[in-house]
Amino acid sequence: MCLFLVPPLPYFPVFSFSRFPFSHPLHFHVSHNELMNPPYSPMSRICIIISLIFLQIIGILYPCLAEVDDAFIRSEVHKFAGDDAAARKAAIMTLAQSGDLRVEAILESYKLGELYLWNGEVVLCIETIEDEDFNEFCLLSDLLTSEPILDADGKQAQIPLEELEEISPSRAERKLTNSAKFLVRLSSPDPEIRMSGVKKCGDPPGIIEGVPQLEAMVQNDPVKKIRYIAKESLLLIRLSRTSLEQDPDAHLEIVRELGEMKSLRGLPRLQEMFDELMIEVEALPDFEEGTDIEDLEPADVEALGIYKYAIAYKYAINQISNYQGFVGGVGNIFRGLSLGSVLILMALGLAITFGLMGVINMAHGELMMIGAYATFEMQRLFGHTPDSPSDWYYVAALPVSFLAAAFVGYLIELSVVRHLYRRPLESLLATWGIGLLLIQLVRLRYGDNIGVNAPTWARGGLEVVQDLIVPYSRCFIIVLCGLCVLLIYYLMNYTKLGLRMRATMQNRNMANSMGVNTQRVDRYTFAFGSGIAGVAGYAWTLIGGVTPDMGQNNFIIDSFLVVVTGGVGELIGVICAGLGIGVLTKVIEPLGIGSMVVGAIWAKILLLIIIVGFIQFKPAGLFAPKGRLSDV
Amino acid sequence: MFRRTAVTQTGDQAASDASLQSVETDEQKLWEDRKTEAESGLVNGQLSIFLRRYVPWALFFIGLVVIPALYYMGLITLGTVNMLGRYMAFAIVAVGLDLIWGYTGILSLCQAFFFALGGYAMGMYLAHHGGPEGIIDANNWKIPACLYVVYPYKVGEAPGDALVPWFWKPFYTLPVTVTLGLLIPGIAALAIGYFGFKSRVRGVYFAILTQAITVAGWLVFCMNNMKLCGTNGLTRFDRIAGFKLTTPHVKVSLYIITLLALVGVYALCKQIVRSRLGRILIAIRDDETTLRFSGYKPYIYKLFAFSLAGMIAGLGGMLYAPQMGIFTPTNMEASASILVVVWVAVGGRGALSGAILGTLAVNLLYNFFTSEKNLLLFTWRAEYWQFILGGLFIGVVLLFPGGLIDLWNRLVGKAK
Repeated sequence: MCLFLVPPLPYFPVFSFSRFPFSHPLHFHVSHNELMNPPYSPMSRICIIISLIFLQIIGILYPCLAEVDDAFIRSEVHKFAGDDAAARKAAIMTLAQSGDLRVEAILESYKLGELYLWNGEVVLCIETIEDEDFNEFCLLSDLLTSEPILDADGKQAQIPLEELEEISPSRAERKLTNSAKFLVRLSSPDPEIRMSGVKKCGDPPGIIEGVPQLEAMVQNDPVKKIRYIAKESLLLIRLSRTSLEQDPDAHLEIVRELGEMKSLRGLPRLQEMFDELMIEVEALPDFEEGTDIEDLEPADVEALGIYKYAIAYKYAINQISNYQGFVGGVGNIFRGLSLGSVLILMALGLAITFGLMGVINMAHGELMMIGAYATFEMQRLFGHTPDSPSDWYYVAALPVSFLAAAFVGYLIELSVVRHLYRRPLESLLATWGIGLLLIQLVRLRYGDNIGVNAPTWARGGLEVVQDLIVPYSRCFIIVLCGLCVLLIYYLMNYTKLGLRMRATMQNRNMANSMGVNTQRVDRYTFAFGSGIAGVAGYAWTLIGGVTPDMGQNNFIIDSFLVVVTGGVGELIGVICAGLGIGVLTKVIEPLGIGSMVVGAIWAKILLLIIIVGFIQFKPAGLFAPKGRLSDV
Repeated sequence: MFRRTAVTQTGDQAASDASLQSVETDEQKLWEDRKTEAESGLVNGQLSIFLRRYVPWALFFIGLVVIPALYYMGLITLGTVNMLGRYMAFAIVAVGLDLIWGYTGILSLCQAFFFALGGYAMGMYLAHHGGPEGIIDANNWKIPACLYVVYPYKVGEAPGDALVPWFWKPFYTLPVTVTLGLLIPGIAALAIGYFGFKSRVRGVYFAILTQAITVAGWLVFCMNNMKLCGTNGLTRFDRIAGFKLTTPHVKVSLYIITLLALVGVYALCKQIVRSRLGRILIAIRDDETTLRFSGYKPYIYKLFAFSLAGMIAGLGGMLYAPQMGIFTPTNMEASASILVVVWVAVGGRGALSGAILGTLAVNLLYNFFTSEKNLLLFTWRAEYWQFILGGLFIGVVLLFPGGLIDLWNRLVGKAK
């Protein structure tokens, strides 16, 4: 295991020691006679033995290196050069069991005939060059590391072709090697690599040699997912090896098991086989309706048996596709929830400012954009790249994006919005103008497209049940949204600022006369709402692209629709409407009639129609303000 | 009014008589004051009346005679005439918006959508008679060049299987195109307005709703498999009513037609605004609830104004398409809709002539500032235009709520 944690360690000593015999000056000053029988020169043997001893010592010092015992691989590869076909085959299989990924490359080279025997060592020669006299020279590389082997001058060793002995596989060995290549991964200690190997075994045409190992893995592998995939692969291999004509019972049993497993990989294969079967079914002669089965010819009765098979196939297919439909549906709802969460974060600020000040903030989308760019700046500051991640940037970016957007919001309130209370239409225009300014500023500074790389912990996902993967990033967004809603709820209901905010919202003049500094309340509220938009932008970087006009293009209208649908001044309305719109969008999108799929654009239009229809019944939204406030 | 009734209900007869007298004189005096106040501008007396009366006619004369004459004398280029023609097509849209925003108080953010509906109608007519490419389809219709290039074939269809879609066919003749180009935006506005006004969606909510509709429409027109040429738009225009679009006379004629249409639309809206109908529209703007309690049905009047504005926008689009030579979905983006609002705001809402003035002013500014200029210290680049535009949005709301027409009124006084 520590092999993968500290990759340079095992390579370093191995590399230097294995090269030792070749870099010895003696080898490049030997006479022609000696060169003719290099593998048996005593000097190199001694060197090999010494290096082996060193390797043994290293093996004792680093017990975790046991799996990549280079000398072992070398000695096994050396057997390829032998005359005994059975030993060669055994060596291939032994290597395949080793679980070292480098064996894959070696076997591939062996298959292509790139291995040569030189001085008793197996070396790799991918390239040959010719001099003026058309003498071919081989450029040698090391077997394990593929690094060039250097001669005394420090250049890559060039050896005349005649001095090398080619190790060429026979036809059967070539075939075996091809399969064995995939078996290497099965023995790897890393579950990820093992999983990919297991998957590969089952893909057509199926690696029959892997069956015994797969069978063992179905029983013994510590990882549940690998056990599942191993079984799936095993069934797929068997499915392609048993035919319906010869052994229908065994075949149908496999089909049944695949159906029970709800195997997604089995689906296309089963569908293909089912379609082939249906062609035969179509070709059956028409029987008159109401004909007694007793009256049919024996040949026809036999032909009717095909229906039984078709039904078995169809049953398995339905089982799988129903399950996949369910998984897809749940996945869509989840995506909708996370989209809805971003919408909620956006709409909360809007609803508060509109409810409080009667001001429509069309620059709200740009505040979100500022949050996203603040995240990008933090990433740059921390030097986070996919290759050298520093995940703390994302933690630091949360307060920074909030504060950046809140600060810009504060400035907007101070300079423009405070002159526009209760003039929503005009505030709409002025804030749209602010949005244009912000977009252009950001565009001049950053250009049109930037990439925010998610922190490593937000990559990947959790497989809740089979095939249903919940991405961590989306989970994070939902949790973040929940926290923000709780924070706002607390702020509105349990703090002095919240009390003043509610008082100002209900009756500005009265609040003013009771000593509330409504102007300051407005300012803080506006900044707070803007900050929440910044957080929305921060969250969006995990699941979407960041462009200067992202707010104007994707979010401002949607979040206003959330406010319109949810009603002004009630948080619960915004939450319900946000989640509803988010989930509906993602649920409608993949729906379809026949081969026609609704798609993103029509889903948006359908949603709009739904909202317009909804407004017919509830003109002031889900949770309308009542009484005196209703005619704002 | 209220003061008088209030006084008659209280106190004895004599006192009320006296007070009635005084109130009447008060009112008269107030009215006189207002009149003089309104009439007094920087320029007073005969000159003010002269300017008020003749400057609009002078402008009309300049547009109709002087500019074509200047072109034929070789003092301005054909491009300038064409540009002015296009801006006047925009001005038509702005007059329509002023009718519903300035007078009725409905902020609509889908005027660009109606504009594009009209533009697409005319564009389809022009494409039918456009460029040389394209083939005759199975039904003996020539597939327009721009559609043929991006035709969305289904799987298994060969280029020979392309057909002219049914909704392209009515737009083959000019009279039908013009009728449909007015009717389609009108009906679309009627539908949007019906669902909006019937459920009393007002103010900002209506604005947001219409903006969402614009975005939805834009998305649909951008889809290539709608057979509306996708984001490429309608191109390869060649002839209108048999005349080649590239010839100078045709361009000047289109300019003059646009100018006359603008004047016609202006006169129509002015007539509406002055009539009893116009009083009701203004009442809707100022206090819809009271109007409803007085027994009117505001939504019918709003519907009328809204669909009329939609048709006017459609007319603008129809005049714009042949002068521009291309019509793409960019013309119906959400930002294009808000741009119309800013034209009206800059000109001064609540005054139809302000809408025209604002449109021309903003567009000429746009034309001036979107070319690269070498100033002394730095280079002005086209992308800085967004700053000016954003500044216009903010400035016109905060500093000049009355717009350009207010400046004019301050100069010459306002006749009331």
